[in-house]
Amino acid sequence: MPLWNLQLNMASSRVLRYGFSIGCVAIAMGLAFTFRRFHFRDIAPPFNLAIAIATWYGGVGPSVLALVLSAACFEYFFSPPVYSFVISKQDLPSFSVFIAWAVLIASFAGIRHRVEADLGNARDNLKVEVEQRKLREIEIRRLNHELADRAAQLEASNKELESFAYSVSHDLRAPVRHTVGYSELLQKQAASSLDDKSQRYINTIIESAKKMGILIDDLLAFSRIGRAETKTTLVNLEQLVKEVIREIGPDTRDREVAWKTGALPMCYGDRSMLKLVLVNLLSNAVKFTRTRTRAEIEIGSADGANQEVEVFVRDNGAGFDMQYANKLFGVFQRLHLAEDFEGTGIGLATVQRIIHRLGGKVRAEGAVNQGATFYFSLAKAQDSEARIASGL
Amino acid sequence: MNNNLGRILIVEDDAKDVELTLMALQDYNLTNDVVVTRDGQEALDYLYCRGQFHTRPCENPAVILLDLKLPKVDGLEVLKQIRSDERLEMTPVVVLTSSREEKDMVKSYKLGVNAYVVKPVDFHEFVNAVKELGVFWALINEPPPGSMKK
Repeated sequence: MPLWNLQLNMASSRVLRYGFSIGCVAIAMGLAFTFRRFHFRDIAPPFNLAIAIATWYGGVGPSVLALVLSAACFEYFFSPPVYSFVISKQDLPSFSVFIAWAVLIASFAGIRHRVEADLGNARDNLKVEVEQRKLREIEIRRLNHELADRAAQLEASNKELESFAYSVSHDLRAPVRHTVGYSELLQKQAASSLDDKSQRYINTIIESAKKMGILIDDLLAFSRIGRAETKTTLVNLEQLVKEVIREIGPDTRDREVAWKTGALPMCYGDRSMLKLVLVNLLSNAVKFTRTRTRAEIEIGSADGANQEVEVFVRDNGAGFDMQYANKLFGVFQRLHLAEDFEGTGIGLATVQRIIHRLGGKVRAEGAVNQGATFYFSLAKAQDSEARIASGL
Repeated sequence: MNNNLGRILIVEDDAKDVELTLMALQDYNLTNDVVVTRDGQEALDYLYCRGQFHTRPCENPAVILLDLKLPKVDGLEVLKQIRSDERLEMTPVVVLTSSREEKDMVKSYKLGVNAYVVKPVDFHEFVNAVKELGVFWALINEPPPGSMKK
């Protein structure tokens, strides 16, 4: 059993430690009396030994006690004049030497004792740390396992989703195509025998089926956003906005539209996806300002929090009631009648999905008949560059 | 249909799509040139002149209109076999499918398809697309040696 364990055990009880110290001095006294009986000249060693042992096993307090007791006993019993605490002049040096020896031994033993104790503590700490590390390793392994499980689950559900989209793409479009095809064939075949009402019915069938086809295509395009890989590059938003305005220009040919483009920053993102965002937002703005004699559409940006930039598209169109703002970005959610403003209700859902994939946020502000403003946030270029540089 | 010239081979499992396709080809009197097979296995049997087609004069069609989602052997597998066969590899293949999935498109082009056409939902567009395909590949385009002549 190592020494520090004995010391630790004893240290648990103060009474035991001081008792041990007194015992040591008592034994030393016994030895000293025996020494004197046999006329040994030097009777200091038993006391020095007692102090050393008391210091070693008892610690500082018992050490001091042993020192004081030893000095007192030595002086009272063995230093002339005997049985008195008076120290004669000629004995002063030898008594001082005894005390000095005792202090030296006590301090030496104390230092050693402390070093041993420190070593013991260090060893114990190490042991605890090793155990903790083992526990941590087990925990890490468990978490890793869990993560792998999750990844596998995610992959499975992703595959399921993909095969779902695949079969929708292949199988759902065919019946729609047949409905339209055969209705038109019927229309052609029976053109002379159909009255106006029947014609209208057939037209409605064709229109609905076509709408179904568009919905399926939109839904597939929407699901593709989630599955497609994003290619992050530096994107010049200002240039991209100009490009989009040019592309949707033909829709505004017979209308007065005042485009106002503010300064837009360089951003990091997937160019084609960001273009889709802008196409959706700008064509929405064009669509919902149709009732205005002069449409005003403004695109600009403002610095947001966390090194982000917030881009907005503002129009003076039909607007919306803020209490339905949470519905705006939902799939197939519409706040206007199809008779007033056409569309499937997938545009803003697409915008939100893309911006979320790029790590940004979307929001909207508006009021009925007072226009709407759509915001989306993106990481600013220099921030992204810093992130790439630091390997994040 | 074994008596047909078979310059256009249609591989299509959906009977309605077959009818609509044939209707579109009728306008240019191309229906006599058409052979229809209903799955990938039948298409391969036709191309290799085996099974029920072992008596036909073994010439290649001028064009194959191939659907992708087919029973037994799917369209991509048929395309792969055509492109890895010395006698068939030059035969023009046009994928005519419902799917606009990029995955299908990329795979088809990688396997060496000559064209990829998504069947439009709009009937007029569908008819026009098939008509144009038929006219171009069966009448305008000069097929590779070993193909059926007009």
